[in-house]
Amino acid sequence: MFANRKIENIEMEVMDAVNQARKQQPLLNAMVSFTEVDEAIEYAKSSSGKMAGLPIILKDNVLTKGVRTTGSVQILDNYIGTYDATITTKLKEAGAVIIGKSALDGLGMGGTGTNCHTGFVHNPYDLTRMAGGSSVGSAVLVASGAVAFAIGSDTGDSVRKPASFVGIVGVKPTYGRISRYGIIPYASSLDHVGYFTRGVEDAALSLEVLAGRDDKDMTSSFREVENYLANLNGDLTGKTIGIMGNVIDAIRSKEVLVLFNDLVEKCKAAGAIIKVIHMDPVRLKTCLPVYYIIANSEATANHSNLDGVRFGMQERGDSLEELMTNSRTKGFSFLLRKRFIIGSYSLADENQDLLLRKAQKVRRLLVEDFKVALADIDVLIAPASSDVAPLLTDTSADQLSARYLIAENHMVLGNFSGYPSMTIPMGKINGLPIGINLTAKPFEEQVLFDIALGMEHLTGCKNMMAEVML
Amino acid sequence: MERISKKQVYKLAQQLMLRLSEEEADNIIAEFDTLLKQLDLLDQIDTSNVDEMIYPFEEPTDFFREDIVDHVLPIEEVLYNAPVEEEGYFVIPKVVKD
Repeated sequence: MFANRKIENIEMEVMDAVNQARKQQPLLNAMVSFTEVDEAIEYAKSSSGKMAGLPIILKDNVLTKGVRTTGSVQILDNYIGTYDATITTKLKEAGAVIIGKSALDGLGMGGTGTNCHTGFVHNPYDLTRMAGGSSVGSAVLVASGAVAFAIGSDTGDSVRKPASFVGIVGVKPTYGRISRYGIIPYASSLDHVGYFTRGVEDAALSLEVLAGRDDKDMTSSFREVENYLANLNGDLTGKTIGIMGNVIDAIRSKEVLVLFNDLVEKCKAAGAIIKVIHMDPVRLKTCLPVYYIIANSEATANHSNLDGVRFGMQERGDSLEELMTNSRTKGFSFLLRKRFIIGSYSLADENQDLLLRKAQKVRRLLVEDFKVALADIDVLIAPASSDVAPLLTDTSADQLSARYLIAENHMVLGNFSGYPSMTIPMGKINGLPIGINLTAKPFEEQVLFDIALGMEHLTGCKNMMAEVML
Repeated sequence: MERISKKQVYKLAQQLMLRLSEEEADNIIAEFDTLLKQLDLLDQIDTSNVDEMIYPFEEPTDFFREDIVDHVLPIEEVLYNAPVEEEGYFVIPKVVKD
């Protein structure tokens, strides 16, 4: 934990983190690269910033000047950042010490941690299991105890799902709350910067560091950044909490429902008002296809600049076209090439009305439903996944079932709407953690943190760490 | 939506400057079957008189800035990651043949 704690021996704290991440690497495979820390340590020693001396890790889609930034794709394997992302600058100015870059599903596309250029990433609670994705490396390194804070990005649920699978806090604030300048994009209308901590207080403090208007990201908000930590209040008395009834109906795991219902009862006993809210079930089942169409279409356009000519890996060819085709074919995994083809299919003239525009219209309807669901409550909650982390070998999900379409993918509503959303751990099932997701109205991060803190008090799930057997 | 053909898959790949093996093309066609069933769910939603939602919020966050040069990368940094560069230019295979 680092909120309200001054780090006395910065050098020791940073080197402990580096050594732990290095030792765990053969088992977890969560790191892509380690960075030089000497200069940042010296700066931190005289810093009075909110993260002075704190060792941290960035997802490897965050640009860092002079440091390799691969996006976890071969075509960027040799790419060196030529400028710092706005959040990199903010974190450095706050005195944080960046110790390295973490693995992700290539370009943020994937939710399993099995599509990383550097290989599978393992769940620290059970090395045979996934830790989710795409911000998998950052989640794993916070859960393993290597660092207390790491940056992720969230386009579908890429911070909030891994947070659930490894028992930590994962925050995706309101769209526009944190600048995305210098983040390798996935889908611009859905991309958010997010982050991981092991407690709600740390999460509140971190947003103070990261949030704020940035003219280099014209989607960033002018709204004032609040004193989230100082204003934090975990009293649940009179707070109105809505349960996403459709998600509960779609979950088959009795253990997950027992944990969830137990927490709801405790919230009620602590003074919260509980309501069960059902959204239109037919519309809700379209979350995943709407996401696929919009995200893949935007990704296809965003990544057309990865051609091997101006930067990144180049495969030779006799013509410019052959050079680009060779570079892109070798530079992208099959999963990414497949997603680009799906995106291109939706963008084709003859399909735009039927697919892309249709999906964008359904997105509006889903967001309107979501807005209505949140109208008379403070937060909307549901389990962050329908079960604990799957095995790395598990490909059994029925992709047309309600469990898959609703219970596994409801958190994408936070991306469609831009509403702030976070996951905190709610307990363990057979030693494996699982989280609860909370969503609030736009820019009401304070409400989100307050209720999350109240729940954290009730679960006792704070500062949870996996014991990685070295 | 109709089932996608292998010819269409290869055409899309070519437009994206990507190559696919025979096996990869078959895999994409198989995956399209599931995807098209999911897309059928969209047809059940009435979207008449509904506008597309492009970005989450309509609150304006952009503006026309003053026309002043800002955050420009020096040429040596621009070319730092270039696979092949010469005299300040990116080098590509000859386009206009002899």
